[in-house]
Amino acid sequence: MASDRSNEADFVRPVRRLVIGVLALLLLALFLLWRIDSPRVERFRTAVLDTVVPNMDWAMAPVTRVSRMVEDFRSYARIYEQNQELRRELQQMRAWREAALQLEQRNAQLLDMARVRLDPQLTHVTGVVMADAGSPFRQSVLINVGARDGIVDGWAVMDGLGLAGRIAGVGERSSRVILLTDSNSRVPVIVQPSGQHALLSGDNTAMPVLDFVENADELRPGDRVVSASDGGVFPPGLLVGEVAQGADGRTRVRLAADYGRLDFLRVLRSRPAEQIDQTGALLRPVDPSGTPLDPTTGVPAPAPLAEAEPDTATETVEPVPAVPLPGGAEAPVTDGSQNE
Amino acid sequence: MNETWRLNTLAHLGLWLAIAGVGTLIHILPLSGPEPGWPAPDLFLALTLAWVLRRPAHLPAAAIALTFLAQDLVLMRPPGLWALIVLGGSEFLRRRASVVREMNLLLEWAMVSAVLIAMTLAYRFGLAIVMVGRDPLDLSLARLAVTILVYPLVVWALQSVLRVRKPATGELDELGRKL
Repeated sequence: MASDRSNEADFVRPVRRLVIGVLALLLLALFLLWRIDSPRVERFRTAVLDTVVPNMDWAMAPVTRVSRMVEDFRSYARIYEQNQELRRELQQMRAWREAALQLEQRNAQLLDMARVRLDPQLTHVTGVVMADAGSPFRQSVLINVGARDGIVDGWAVMDGLGLAGRIAGVGERSSRVILLTDSNSRVPVIVQPSGQHALLSGDNTAMPVLDFVENADELRPGDRVVSASDGGVFPPGLLVGEVAQGADGRTRVRLAADYGRLDFLRVLRSRPAEQIDQTGALLRPVDPSGTPLDPTTGVPAPAPLAEAEPDTATETVEPVPAVPLPGGAEAPVTDGSQNE
Repeated sequence: MNETWRLNTLAHLGLWLAIAGVGTLIHILPLSGPEPGWPAPDLFLALTLAWVLRRPAHLPAAAIALTFLAQDLVLMRPPGLWALIVLGGSEFLRRRASVVREMNLLLEWAMVSAVLIAMTLAYRFGLAIVMVGRDPLDLSLARLAVTILVYPLVVWALQSVLRVRKPATGELDELGRKL
């Protein structure tokens, strides 16, 4: 095929073949040498690169500049997109800033309220666990505070984080705490995002069962469970734990309190909620002798106007003691300007 | 006539070497990291094959072997094997340059594709024989496919930008013989 077309001289073709054959042999030998004695050839490669690459500084400079220009140009092209993105982020930041401001105000209010200590539920007595029932599940423990310290049956007991149980049995200087895992423990709770009431009943396992849920479909694992004030047993809103699916398929609660290390327990002094049996009197401040005071002037006002008030007004009374005591030193300052 | 021919050939060889240098330089410069998606085609290989098919006299076998060996060294490939395979492929095409001269682009494309596939297979086979780690199969196949796809573009660039065409009828070489 090539013979009739090629016009090479007769000696060229064998020489060409020889040269190409030698080249191929050399390349193959180099490859095999690399395979057999890799470090030596790699050193040779490194030497070649060492001699070649430093001489490329002159080439690097314009290339670097050009690549930087290309990069700049790309960023120009993306500028609209970036702008939109930044706007979106700014919007989110505004939302967060608003939330932060609100939280700051709220925090200041709460701190203010905490300082004046108007809520008796915030006080507590801390006791040390002296002994437990000895079973692996620790269904009840004994703590070293008792009637001497004013402990009353039924008060809630927490560890640092969550509800642990309640007082059941008060001695002179010790009291017994029934833990939530005890099979006799029944505690009303609220599941937080859906607001459903339920009953937390212990069954001698580490995770008590959530019973009597209104609508079990709305429960999700991880929902917060807090105590409810149903029946007046516990102060509302104490953290209990989070919803979890038990191994047996029942809805259970993973307790927030660390039952593995119950050393110090905190007994909350929960007073029974005020029974509102008359209208008007709760709304109006009274002086120590019991006569109602006029909230605006601070002088005793004879007529409590109790009968004039409609009965439904008592349901709208906020439990927060926001009624200012005229002339009292503990009057809480709740106007917003102070909290800013 | 002779002098201009020789100068012309040398100039084209120089051009090819310059393209090789710039291409390698771009490869090793820290311009950008590896991007996801299709791998970049082996433009220089496609250019070399197209060039060998058009003007075999411009690219001596020794130049091809040494250039690709240098690329092997610089681009951290196993030295020698790829150069050997490129040498074989280019020699195969060089022998058939006179045949390809009468083909249209489609047939030439098919032929070059076959050569490229054979080269890739031979490379992987050679690496497998001596038990050297190979590139991922899908990536090297994608690179092969992309290289084959850009071959007509390379031919177009070679003919219109670099002015390297198939010899016309009646052209003479440096010794005054018909090409």
